[in-house]
Amino acid sequence: MSEQIIWTPLQLGPVTVRNRIVFSAHLTNYAQDGLPTEQHAAYYAERAKGGAGLIITEEHSTHRTDWPYEKLIHGFNREVIPGYRRITDAVHQHRVPIFAQINHNGGQASSMYSRLPVWAPSAVADPLFREVPKAVDAAEIAEIVASYALVAGHCVEGGFDGVELQCSHSSIVRGFLSPATNLRTDDYGGSLANRARILIEIVAAVRAEIGSDLALGVRLCGDELIEGGTTIDEAVLVAKMVEATGHVDYINTSIGVATSSLFMIEASMHIPPGYAMFIPAAMREAVDLPVVGVGRFKDPLQAERALSEGLCDLVGVVRGQIADPDFVRKAKAGFTDDTRLCLSCNQECVGRMGLNRWLGCIENPRTGQESLGVGLAQTVSISRKVLVVGAGPAGMQAAIAAARNGHRVTVCEQESVAGGQVRLAASVPNRAEFGDLVRNQLHECGRLGVEFEYGVTVTAEEVSRRGVDTVIIATGARPSTPYWMPEDLAGGSGWIVDVRDVLSGRVHPEGNVVVIDEIGFHHATSVAELLADRGCDVEIITPGMVVGQDLGITLDMENWWIRAGFKGIVQTTNSGVMGIEGHTVQLQHHPTGTQISREPDWLVLALPADPVDELYFELKGLGVDVYRAGDAVAPRRAHSAVIEGERVGAAVASADRVLADR
Amino acid sequence: MVTPEGLGESAEVSQSGGVKLLEPLNLGMLQAPNRIIFGPHETNLGSGRSLSDAHVAYYQRRAAGGAGIIVTEEASVHQSDWPYERSPLALQCADGWESIASACSAEGSLVLAAIGHAGGQGTSHWSQRELWAPSRVPEVNSREIPKWMEPEDIAQVIDGFAAAALLAVQSGCDGVEINAGQYSLVRQFLSGLTNQRSDQWGGDRRLFLTQVLTAVRSAIGPEKLLAVRLSCDELAPWAGITPEQAPELAAEIAHEPQEGPIDLLTVVRGSIYSVSATRPGGHTPPGFNLELSRAVREQVRLATSNRVAVAVQGSIVDVAQAEWALTDGIADAVEMTRAQISDAQLVSKLRSGTAARIRPCTLSNQKSQVRDNRNPIVTALGDPLSGYETKDAPPETAAAHRVELTVVGGGPGGLEAARVAAIRGHQVRLFEASDSFGGMVRVAAKGPGWDRLALLVDWLEAECRIEGVELINNHRVTPGELNGHVIVAVGGREGLRAYEQQPGSVVRTAAEALDDPESLPQGAVLIWDPIGGPIGVALAELLAERGVEVHIATQDNIVGNELARSGDLAPANARLLQAGVHLHPRMLLRSVSAEGATLEDRFSAQRQQLPVAVVIDAGHRLPNDALGLELADVARVQASSVGDCVAPRTIYEAILEGRRAAIALG
Repeated sequence: MSEQIIWTPLQLGPVTVRNRIVFSAHLTNYAQDGLPTEQHAAYYAERAKGGAGLIITEEHSTHRTDWPYEKLIHGFNREVIPGYRRITDAVHQHRVPIFAQINHNGGQASSMYSRLPVWAPSAVADPLFREVPKAVDAAEIAEIVASYALVAGHCVEGGFDGVELQCSHSSIVRGFLSPATNLRTDDYGGSLANRARILIEIVAAVRAEIGSDLALGVRLCGDELIEGGTTIDEAVLVAKMVEATGHVDYINTSIGVATSSLFMIEASMHIPPGYAMFIPAAMREAVDLPVVGVGRFKDPLQAERALSEGLCDLVGVVRGQIADPDFVRKAKAGFTDDTRLCLSCNQECVGRMGLNRWLGCIENPRTGQESLGVGLAQTVSISRKVLVVGAGPAGMQAAIAAARNGHRVTVCEQESVAGGQVRLAASVPNRAEFGDLVRNQLHECGRLGVEFEYGVTVTAEEVSRRGVDTVIIATGARPSTPYWMPEDLAGGSGWIVDVRDVLSGRVHPEGNVVVIDEIGFHHATSVAELLADRGCDVEIITPGMVVGQDLGITLDMENWWIRAGFKGIVQTTNSGVMGIEGHTVQLQHHPTGTQISREPDWLVLALPADPVDELYFELKGLGVDVYRAGDAVAPRRAHSAVIEGERVGAAVASADRVLADR
Repeated sequence: MVTPEGLGESAEVSQSGGVKLLEPLNLGMLQAPNRIIFGPHETNLGSGRSLSDAHVAYYQRRAAGGAGIIVTEEASVHQSDWPYERSPLALQCADGWESIASACSAEGSLVLAAIGHAGGQGTSHWSQRELWAPSRVPEVNSREIPKWMEPEDIAQVIDGFAAAALLAVQSGCDGVEINAGQYSLVRQFLSGLTNQRSDQWGGDRRLFLTQVLTAVRSAIGPEKLLAVRLSCDELAPWAGITPEQAPELAAEIAHEPQEGPIDLLTVVRGSIYSVSATRPGGHTPPGFNLELSRAVREQVRLATSNRVAVAVQGSIVDVAQAEWALTDGIADAVEMTRAQISDAQLVSKLRSGTAARIRPCTLSNQKSQVRDNRNPIVTALGDPLSGYETKDAPPETAAAHRVELTVVGGGPGGLEAARVAAIRGHQVRLFEASDSFGGMVRVAAKGPGWDRLALLVDWLEAECRIEGVELINNHRVTPGELNGHVIVAVGGREGLRAYEQQPGSVVRTAAEALDDPESLPQGAVLIWDPIGGPIGVALAELLAERGVEVHIATQDNIVGNELARSGDLAPANARLLQAGVHLHPRMLLRSVSAEGATLEDRFSAQRQQLPVAVVIDAGHRLPNDALGLELADVARVQASSVGDCVAPRTIYEAILEGRRAAIALG
């Protein structure tokens, strides 16, 4: 692919980037006490080593009034500089430039951490934080402008190659630019020139501070996706104003407002890749500065297409490089098959940010733990013969970790294909990308020489016959039988079936279907959509306060509601099944004790499952060297399976046995 | 409310003499100086999983204020347990326990280290490993299925309890408290709700606790204290621990350990299905565990020949109620945890006969309930120094020089500014435009369950008078009257309305409706609550109680969304549904006309007309900033603004800023 634009160097002011892939700014929650950590350095260095063209760090706050989330880097505190040095030195070892993003979140914050009034252009409460901000006065505006310059100076001292001003999705500058949040009547409100005044002042102040040796970029929101907010025409005019200052070297772009339309900023697999490219495309037509495009770029081919079509000059790939730090290196070497593709599931990256947890990855156990050495090959004294039972995400990750350490690994799978429940989950049309987990793990197993046997049911006798040293049980889970299930209908023999029975095609419900959601994730909603698409009348009933409670964490809630509305799926909350009488489902609305009933043609259950752990306990009783991982331990989500598989696989014949053995 | 007639006033206790709460309490071979306990609770003051200097200062302040027993924040006994990010891990607590024990013992308090394991009520998000529990019963909120503990796991945790207890007493603690209350593996073993095992650990559900107690007593020896915090009502009679079973269970536990009986048993309630019932807000009457404790104490004393003391927990915030619990034989000691978060000097005020001056706890849970992903620091609405002992200046110190101060506005911010300024020696007068002091807090306190908010402003007003503040009501100040030091605390005003108001439409603010519900037009009401907060929900409850047809609409998926912070989300929704309030989630209010309101579904964009007589806007307010802006340019005045007139927020910010402005005077 070496002839393509993606591998062509580009000049950003004084800085040369050697390819067009940017690891653009995103929160990590790696900071401690407002300072950058060793983990920051290890995290960025790993992506630099993997060949990223440019790295832009997460935001550094410019002012003490700005502290919307606990683990924000306090760039205004001089004590950050040693941490900055640690980051830039680590990244520069791989000859990759690194820019610092600096920002004040403005009204998109609360006073909880700062214990100071939140500052914003006008007293308009943010839709997420719901705290009325203080409308800043002229002196405070001057203080904000000066604070950007102060932090830019810290970035110079910290060894950064450039500075990016986040004026896009969570920023006081966005607050000023947007007619929805700027109601001022002074020189900083009203006309676009007035609303952009603080941005132009900040650009001038920062350029004066950093001089000509560092690059300066401005990240702009092309469409806020809110009522009365900034849209593309005005955003293009702002880009032209920014260019006209003569101080700026590139424009970065984004879509949405972090505190009201985040689901369109960090879109999950339900939004098509490249969905935000109308923004860089429009700006690139209007300005000569290089423009960065972002929006769920999962592979280098997509990126190259966007570049060759002239939509942008650089492509931001964040989640792709969270999942696989070697994304660029592998692509450049032509080994795209080796890339651990991002699933766009948002479960452990985006999903952990709003919960104040460190950034991780559902399929890369090393992400977020780089500084702790997780996920690297270890030296083990002897090569063991390892049998993994079950080719779901836990079993395959265990095989990967064991094979990486030089063990000879065979995976036996009862079914004819790998993937376990992940394969079923991905069989629903709009969840297909989740299946890349299976693809990625299978490919990695193949690369490491793991052998697979399908259609094999492993018993204790089989283990003994094979003469293996170590057995890893990753046999997954089976549907449970709720206490209220009539005996004659247990096991999915009648009109009451599990989600898996539907997804696997074992049964084909028609007519009126009730889905019971006691899991609160994609299980119930996926099967409901599938059946509604097939023409069923579907109602989901949950004992929870909302259906699919955790869809909000992965930013899937908004689009679920939109799709459910179109598909006519009814959602009933606060109600649990009490019993079955004939063909009638008896339920109780638990806040009021009201009895309700349904007479569906089919009842589909999304309930907590039971582990398949019989073989584990049998082997344990026989004194076999046996581990277990994933749903066979306790039925949970794919990430638990992957990290447990990683842990037990890495523990085979290692001193960490005790830690992994549970 | 269990308190009998005539004991409602705190002052009576302190004046009657012979206060039982202040009598020493013999526990094993030790003696607590009095019977008021500062119970274990999450603080988020930790540094990583260690106890920090902030912890030491926090507990030391309560010990200096006279707390008889201090139970430190629960530490996990085993690495399989990491229930919240800053939850202490016993192995990392030796230094912290030593500092806390040393600081608090010097003040005369006994220090117990709470130790435990959250079991299936933890989270895997920090540990990145499976949860451990007796059986695979998921906690209702996380819905995470725990691992069924294998025998060697059980042995490890029991060893962990013993090791943690030994470390605590070696670090100078007077003993330990084993958590078998809320968020505990021990309770999960005790309860049929969560223990469905068929082995010996299920055959005898008490076995796990018995073995823990035996191991711990053996580790700490006979001279140190062994306390147990026991859920005596899981509020789930179909399989949980019931009030009928609890006395016998408690009695058996109390005399069971082979190495010697426990010394103290604290009665609490709650299970995996009722987390918010353990430390509820103001909607639950204080003292809800009193009768439970009475029954438990009777059996425990019988079984142990009065050796084991029983303490009671449960929203006890009033010393009169606490005193009655002792004199009426309900308990031997009382946990007053939130009361001492609100006022660290509670015991010393009781001792000095000034119980009436104890800063009341509002039971709002807004600042003290910190089991929250954001890791908020524990603090109090009325005392922002709580939790910030190492960061904030204490307000009650003398100023370097005396000034004359005028405070404009008698809400919480103005009253606190005046109170603190007066304590510091300044000459203070406060002007209030209306006829009463307390500002919007008086209005908010009219919501069902929020009546205790009024106690806080009553207290502020009374303290201002005691400290010599000149309080002047019914006086609207003009800038011309002001000179010198001025603190502006004039509050907020009606907010912006993003919806269309057609001719003939009736829209009222939440404040107007709460203040005078009689003034609303007859007919159905729609409450528009974009905040998802307590005001809109409280108003709905108030109006529904009055027989009004109430609708409440919000853009969120759940009405009262932000109540999740204080633990009231599910209870509030249950109350609304039981009261027949019509909930309209996921809606935007588009217009109001004489015929009613138009709501639009956020996702389908479908509109619906609600025929209501009045719309009540419970949305954000605007600052009443005119006076502050005017004074900014007046040379003879040195003014600062605090609270809602800067930006309308909560009582906490008003008090914090009022206090800071007073301290800033010098």
